[in-house]
Amino acid sequence: MNEAGFKKLLLGAGIALILLFYLSPVIWMAVVSLSKNADFLSRGRIEITCENFKNIFRERTLYFPFYLKNSLIVGFFSALFATLFGGLAAYILTRTDSRLKKILMVGVLAVSMFPQISLAGYLFRMMTSAGLINTYTALILPYISWCLPFALWILMGYFSQIPRDIDAAALIDGADRFRAFSRIIVPLALPGLLSTFLLVFIFAFNEFLFALMLTTDHNARTVPVGISLFEGLHGELPWGNIMAASLISALPLILLALFFQRYIFKGLSGGAVKQ
Amino acid sequence: MNKHRADLLFLAPLFLFVLLFVLVPVIGALINSLFRDVSFLPVKFTGLMNYIRLSGDSAFRKAVVFTLLFSAVSVFLEMAAGILTASVINEEFRMRGLIRGIVLIPWAIPNVIGARMWQFIYQFEYGVHNFFMKALFGMPENWLGSPAGAFSALVAADVWRTTPFVAIIILAGMQNLPTSIYDQAKVDGAGMIARFFRITLPALKPILLIALIFRTIDALRIFDVILVMTGGGPGGTTSSISLLGYKAFLQGDFGYGSAISVAIFLLAFVIAMVYLKAGRIKEEI
Repeated sequence: MNEAGFKKLLLGAGIALILLFYLSPVIWMAVVSLSKNADFLSRGRIEITCENFKNIFRERTLYFPFYLKNSLIVGFFSALFATLFGGLAAYILTRTDSRLKKILMVGVLAVSMFPQISLAGYLFRMMTSAGLINTYTALILPYISWCLPFALWILMGYFSQIPRDIDAAALIDGADRFRAFSRIIVPLALPGLLSTFLLVFIFAFNEFLFALMLTTDHNARTVPVGISLFEGLHGELPWGNIMAASLISALPLILLALFFQRYIFKGLSGGAVKQ
Repeated sequence: MNKHRADLLFLAPLFLFVLLFVLVPVIGALINSLFRDVSFLPVKFTGLMNYIRLSGDSAFRKAVVFTLLFSAVSVFLEMAAGILTASVINEEFRMRGLIRGIVLIPWAIPNVIGARMWQFIYQFEYGVHNFFMKALFGMPENWLGSPAGAFSALVAADVWRTTPFVAIIILAGMQNLPTSIYDQAKVDGAGMIARFFRITLPALKPILLIALIFRTIDALRIFDVILVMTGGGPGGTTSSISLLGYKAFLQGDFGYGSAISVAIFLLAFVIAMVYLKAGRIKEEI
């Protein structure tokens, strides 16, 4: 076989493997969520039903709609503020040449290397004494802070590609920094801002340890904590319900991944992945 | 307004947030670790007592061994799977965007949901894993109930959920390789496989090192997947350091929990330094 043919064969095999490896657990989740009895494999037959999906919205003791709402709100505001604050800082830092810049960038990145558990205990104390335990604020504040270094790095990658002359001209014309930022930089860097927003949203939606320690009930608990605590009335695991709730919660994220993959690839690699 | 003061205003939110909700908690944990800080007892300065207790704690020692072993095995497999994935999605083919999106799915969905999926795959009575085990070997086995089985199940779940990240980093590295490095090899008649091992992989070394450091630091703090899938069991054999710290906090032992969290940080720091030294990345930056 010639090299081109061999390569085609390898590529086909690679794609098949990728589909199998990345998708099969998700398909398994979908099948279990749609089956009447989660033990269909040992029964040898499967009955398809929507009961599990109806149940997670109907069964009040599961609180699933609350978790979903909480996660969406916390994710949205964390992403909004992390993108805004990261953008403001990235703008100034890409417009100066001071030696401080490099130190700041490395320092901020080093900060994001701290394991979450080393913050969680003290944050719990802090939020308790501030009376914020089990509120959205208790989650949004640490999420913004935790994601800011990351947001800063992504946005600096985008902003540094915008020539300085463009906003310098506006500044000379009498616009102040904020005007130059909001009227010139923001529209030009929209893809970068979008990928930052998406990445922070996904992070905040998925975060577990902080949410576990800083919330106590359905008023602030997010989806991951809720799903990790799902239990039937008698302590058994309601697998059909768990998988239905997991699928519903994962669906928006799966759609984001499929539709915005180029922004996510670009964002996660600091702008290095080309199309 | 003074121009520099306006600049500071742009930087202020970033610093304020990082200071208040990252640096203060970390320093707070460092200070807390020097105190006896348990519910229902007066707080008392005890110096390095918590660390001395830590060094004699067999549960902690077991957790360190487990965490290191788990990180080594899963990061190795993730790097291998990441290189393979990146090589495929770096090629030109129809529907590549869709395949790239699919690669992102395990990364995009919450770890807890991924962990629940894998927990049910390995479910003893009616999980799909034992379905195949029964069909192939006639013998179902309680994977999550045996130390080696639970370990491998956790590795599988972790490799699944983090390979996308590795693949993204490596893909970026592949796209930035100059095509000229292949020219001589083509003239020399080196085949595709030889080119991959002799040229692509060595040229990717800096980016592989970056992926390795990020992944190792992240693997060392593994928590959510373990809490959901095994809870540290059976018999504490899959308890990670983070899980131990969480359990200490849960029992109201803040001093000891803080000492454990400082220990993870130090471990991650030391390993990152070792990588940097070994990879000589300093000279390349």
